[in-house]
Amino acid sequence: MNKQMKKMSTVVLVGLLSVSLAACGSGGSKAGNTAEGGGSNGGGAGEKVTIELAISKSSQDSAFIQQDLLDEFEQKSNIKVNLQLIPAEQTTTVLQTKLAVEETPDIIQYNLASATTDLNLERNFEILDNEPWASRIVNKDVLSAYGHIYSFHVSQDTGMQGVVYNKQIFEDLGLSIPNNFEEFLQVCEKIKASGVTPVFMPYKDAWAANVWPAAAFADFVAKSDPTFFDELNSNKRKWSDIPEFKTFLQQQYDVYKKGYTNADVLSDSYDMAVGKFLNKEVAMMFMGDWLIEGVAQQDPNMKLGVFPIPSVEGAKLGASPLGGQLFIPKKAKHLKEAKEFLNFLATKEVAQKIVDAKGYVSNFSDVTTPELPEYKQEIVDKYITPKNTVLTTDAYMLVDRSELYRLLQDQFAGGLTPEDVLKAWDEKFSQLMKDKEIAGF
Amino acid sequence: MKTLKNQYSYYLVLPALLIYSIFFVIPAFAGFYYSFTDWRLDRLTLNFIGWDNFTKIFSDKTLTLALKNTLIFAVVTVVGKNLIGIALAVALNMKLKTRNLLRAIFYSPSILSILVIGIVFTPMLRTEGTINRMFEAMGLDSLSQAWLTNPSLVIWTIAIISIWQHAGFQMAIYLAGLQSISQEYYEAATIDGAGSWKKFTNITLPLLLPAININLMLTLIGGLKVFSEVFVLTGGGPGNASQVVGTIILRSFGEGSWGLGTAINTLLFVAVTIIAIPLLIFMRRKEVTE
Repeated sequence: MNKQMKKMSTVVLVGLLSVSLAACGSGGSKAGNTAEGGGSNGGGAGEKVTIELAISKSSQDSAFIQQDLLDEFEQKSNIKVNLQLIPAEQTTTVLQTKLAVEETPDIIQYNLASATTDLNLERNFEILDNEPWASRIVNKDVLSAYGHIYSFHVSQDTGMQGVVYNKQIFEDLGLSIPNNFEEFLQVCEKIKASGVTPVFMPYKDAWAANVWPAAAFADFVAKSDPTFFDELNSNKRKWSDIPEFKTFLQQQYDVYKKGYTNADVLSDSYDMAVGKFLNKEVAMMFMGDWLIEGVAQQDPNMKLGVFPIPSVEGAKLGASPLGGQLFIPKKAKHLKEAKEFLNFLATKEVAQKIVDAKGYVSNFSDVTTPELPEYKQEIVDKYITPKNTVLTTDAYMLVDRSELYRLLQDQFAGGLTPEDVLKAWDEKFSQLMKDKEIAGF
Repeated sequence: MKTLKNQYSYYLVLPALLIYSIFFVIPAFAGFYYSFTDWRLDRLTLNFIGWDNFTKIFSDKTLTLALKNTLIFAVVTVVGKNLIGIALAVALNMKLKTRNLLRAIFYSPSILSILVIGIVFTPMLRTEGTINRMFEAMGLDSLSQAWLTNPSLVIWTIAIISIWQHAGFQMAIYLAGLQSISQEYYEAATIDGAGSWKKFTNITLPLLLPAININLMLTLIGGLKVFSEVFVLTGGGPGNASQVVGTIILRSFGEGSWGLGTAINTLLFVAVTIIAIPLLIFMRRKEVTE
C-alpha cells in the first residue's frame, strides 16, 4: 500500500513536471512559429505583409480603422491591416498583458494620458520625433510625453472641460456667463428661483466630481505656480501644500450645500445627464463638451455651450488630454510597416479626408479645419485660438487617479473635509509613485 | 470492500488529479509565491519582498475598513439568511394551500441576476426613493435613510439586500432537510405531550443539523468572498465606505499592484480556511443520526 502510494506520487510528480515542461516547449515553438511567419512575410519584396492593430471595441468609430481607408492603404502599399478588437472593459488589462509577454500588436490605439499611467510609455513605445510627418504637426503637446512625440493623431481637439450650460435658460433669465465664484452663485440663485435645478452633480460616478478641481487646480498652477507639477512629481511638494486647492474643493461643495444641485448627488449617475438637459430639468453641469454632442444627437435644437470653471476671476477653460492616438510598440514585429501606415494617414489628402469626415480641429499645418458645429466653433474662437485653455491636472498625473475620485466623492458623503481629501490623496499619490519607482519617492 | 479497492488502481485518479493540479493547486501556490513579491504591471522583474505586502494591508486604513466591512457583511448575512431560511422552511413545510406558490415566490429572488437586483434596488433606495416614501407614508419618517449613500449605513443595506436575495435559496435546502425527518418522531412527541417549540428544538433542529452545516458553510464562505453585491450597488462607495476585500482586490489590480492584490487574495483564502474548517469539524461532531 505504502509502496503503491510512493509509486503513485512519483508518477504524479513526473506527470506535473512533464506538463510544465510541455508548457514551456509549446510556448517556445509558438514564438518560433511567429518569428518564422514574420520572416517569410518580410522576406520577398512585393509579398503581402499583415500588421496587427489593436483597438478597444468601444473605439470602433475611430477614423483610422474605417475599412475604405484600410483598403486604400492595402492597395497602395501591399500591407494589410488586421484589426484586433478588444472588449472595452478589458482593453487596459489585455494590452498590459500583451506588452508584458512581448506579444505586441504592431499598432495600438489608446489615450496618451492613460498610456503614461497604464502602459509604461517609455519602456514600451517608439519615440516618433523623427517621423516625416512630425514637422508638420501644429500642436505637438497633444501627442507628447516626457518631451517626446510618442503618438499620432490628425486632430488637436482635445475635448474641453468646464461648466456645460443651457444657453436658452440663460437667455430667458437674462443671465450672462459668470466670471468668478460670487457671480456663479448669483447665477445659481436666479436659476433656482425660476424652478430649474441650477447644477446637476452625478457623483455616484466618482470621476464626475473631478471636473471642477481638475480644471481649477490646473488654472491656478498655470498662472501662479508654474513649477508645481514638476515639483509634485519629484516629491518636493504636496497637493495639500497649496491652500487654494482647499478653497476650490470647498467651492464645489458649497454649490451643493447651498442647495443649488440635485438633492441626491451620490445616487445620480452620469448616464442621466443627457436626459436631464433634454427635459430642461437642469441648467448647468461641470462636465466635458462631449456632453453637448450627446445632447445634440438626441435633439439638435438644444443650444448648449461651455464656459470655464468659475473658481477665480478670468479662469481658463480646461482642456482634457487628447485621446485616441496611435502608438507603435518597440517590440512590434513589423515596425517599418507600422510606421508606413502612419505616414499614409499623415499624407495631406488622407488627413484632410479624416479631418473633414470627423469635424476635427486639424493638427497638420497643411490640412484645413472644416466647418464645425456651432458650439465647437465658439470654443475654437473664444478659447482655443486666443489660447485661453489650460490642460487639466489629468495631463500631469502619472498614476491611477481613481482613489482621488473616491476621496472627492467621500467629501460629498460628509466623511472628509477638503483638507482631509488632499492629505489622503497625498498619501495615496506618494504610495503609487513609489510603486512606479519614480525618482524622489 | 477489499476486492473493490484492488479492482481499480490508484492510477485511475491521475487524469482528474492532473486537471485539478493544473487549474487549482498550481495557481494557488503560485498565488502564495506572488503575494510575497512586488509584482507590478510596469516592472519587468519581480523581487521577493517578504511580508511587506501584508504589513501594507494592515497599515492601510481603506484595507482595514474593507476587512471590517467584509466581516460585518459575512456575520450579518450568515445570521440573517439562516434564521429567515429556517423560519420560511418550517412555515412552508406546513400544510398550506398556497404552499407551492409561496415557495416559488420566496425562492425566486435567488435566480435573479445580481445586476438586475442592482438596477432595481438602486433607485428604490435613493433618499427620495420608494422605500423612504413608504416609510414616510406610514409616518415613520425617522426610518427614512440615505440607504446607499450614508457611509455608516451602506454595508448593512447591502447585507440586507443579499439576505433578501438568498434566504429563499437557504430555505430550499432546509425544506429538503425537513422533509427527510420522519413524521413518527413528531407523533411520538405529541403523545408525550410536547409543545411545538419543544418539538422544534428537540427534534427538528438536531435532525436538521446536516442542512444547517451546509447552509452555514455556504453563507459564510459566500459572505467572506462578497464582491458582486457591493460592486453592483455602490462600487465600494461612497468614497471607500463600502469597500470589501473583493472590491479592494479589484482596485489593487486596477492600480497595477498585482503583488498586493494577490496578497490580499491569499489573505482572504487563508481567512476563509481558518474560519471554515474548524467550524465544519465542530458542526460535524454535533450531527446526530436518526
